[in-house]
Amino acid sequence: MTVYETDVPGVGKKFEVELDGEERLVLVMHHDGKREFFHKSSPDADAERLFTLSGQRAREVGAIIQGAYFQPVELSDVEVPLGDAIIEWVDVEADCSLEGQTLADANLRQRTGASVIAIRRGEETIPNPGPDDTFQSGDILVALGTRAELDALEGLVESDGD
Amino acid sequence: MAELLLEVGIALTGIALAGTLATRSTLSVIPAYILVGILIGPNEPTSLFGLPLTLVGDREFIEVLAELGVVFLLFFLGLEFSVDQLLQDRNRITTIGVLDFVVNFGVGAAIGLAFGWTIVETLFLAGIVYISSSAVVTKSLIEQGWIANDESSPILGTLVFEDILIAVYLALLAAVAGGGGLRDAAVSVGTAFLFLGGLAAVAWYGAGWLDRVFATRSDELFVLRIVGVTTLVAGAALALGVSEAVAAFFLGTGVSQTSHVERIEHIVTPARDIFAAVFFFSIGLATDVTLFGGVATLVGVAVVLTTLGKLVSGTLSGRVYDLTRQRSLRVGIGLVPRGEFSLVIATLAAGIGTGRLGTVLPAFTVGYVLVMSILGSVLIQQSDAITETLLGRTASTE
Repeated sequence: MTVYETDVPGVGKKFEVELDGEERLVLVMHHDGKREFFHKSSPDADAERLFTLSGQRAREVGAIIQGAYFQPVELSDVEVPLGDAIIEWVDVEADCSLEGQTLADANLRQRTGASVIAIRRGEETIPNPGPDDTFQSGDILVALGTRAELDALEGLVESDGD
Repeated sequence: MAELLLEVGIALTGIALAGTLATRSTLSVIPAYILVGILIGPNEPTSLFGLPLTLVGDREFIEVLAELGVVFLLFFLGLEFSVDQLLQDRNRITTIGVLDFVVNFGVGAAIGLAFGWTIVETLFLAGIVYISSSAVVTKSLIEQGWIANDESSPILGTLVFEDILIAVYLALLAAVAGGGGLRDAAVSVGTAFLFLGGLAAVAWYGAGWLDRVFATRSDELFVLRIVGVTTLVAGAALALGVSEAVAAFFLGTGVSQTSHVERIEHIVTPARDIFAAVFFFSIGLATDVTLFGGVATLVGVAVVLTTLGKLVSGTLSGRVYDLTRQRSLRVGIGLVPRGEFSLVIATLAAGIGTGRLGTVLPAFTVGYVLVMSILGSVLIQQSDAITETLLGRTASTE
């Protein structure tokens, strides 16, 4: 698949994506965030305008197209793709195995492969938590890892009652 | 104070109304701004059905806003100037750019000489009819959906080349047309190149420094810094007898190398739009419609020949890009609109004001731009009918 990228002075950028067969998708990204989509039935055909999205809409639709599970209200399900790895927000539930443990004791990176890159506790955020920081119920962990590593981590933060 | 504030209020509201009407009728806003300036300005028509129509005088305050319009039009031209695109595609862009210049500047020069104008006057006229309107052309491309088609590459490539050429052309013309003998001209050309050279050096090697100058979290401080520095550089240029428009263009290219481009597009564009609208309006204020009769023939000849000129050069440019016959013709149609830069050149001419530069040329340019901006938009909207007529039905379905 070839993507052609062109600067459009005063407007923004234009991307032309080869689809299956002769078809092409043309996307014009305006400086104000607006995205216009066009369809060409062949490289030589006239472009037909399909639809226009605002910047905010485009990001939402883009997340759906990417296959990221999409629920704008729940912070815990926001994902940011990073190559193979993704960033996910994980809730530490009450009575889970991690509660009260320090990061050093929990040894999460050895056990699950996922890294905790920040802890959100109420209003404050602890970036880059050190080995002496502890996990408390109600914390939201910002974790980085592959899908499998994050699933392993989620197993540890669920309450033992489950 | 009350009187001035009321006048400026009337002017801005008139501009807003004209812009609304133009947008509803899918025409360019530029002729609408000029027309409303003619209508409520101090020159004819001065009354309508017995009601006085001289609502706004040609005041210094409006002139300053208009001057800022010129400065910011050119600043944004420099800001959006795509050096990468130019370098990537330099062979084809140079080819079609030279083609566009030779044909259309040539047609303009021929018209000027045929009408018995002097060399300097002819140079102004040729520049005015040569340069397409980036604003009208780009807007039409988006509305027509051509932006996603192959004909957009040669059209935008031509505009990029015209942008560089107009910067060089304005710098030279402002220096040469300053009057005086050969020695004065040499001194002013020297001054211009020293100033612009210094500015270009800052623009190219000082990108990191420029980046830091404008770096701030506050949008308020950001817009103030951009508007402040741009106006200061333009004012300093003008004080040294260098074209303020070209100075703004160079500053824009310098800022385009920094990380602030997108933010400027978001935050400073509204300021540019207000100033530019007042610039077009003030052109209307200064226009004396009683002079139109005297330049009607010239406008008629120029409209016909320069429309054909763009159709020919555009079609050839399309062929350079290996486009179909229909798309090549569209390149020509797309480049017909003339607008803001023709008016900038005419403003420079009016500022010099010798011979035809102060009277005939401004009247000609206003008439010409009114026709070409409207005609250009209409031709682009009706392009399918035109290509069918000229190439036959078969070509349209290629």
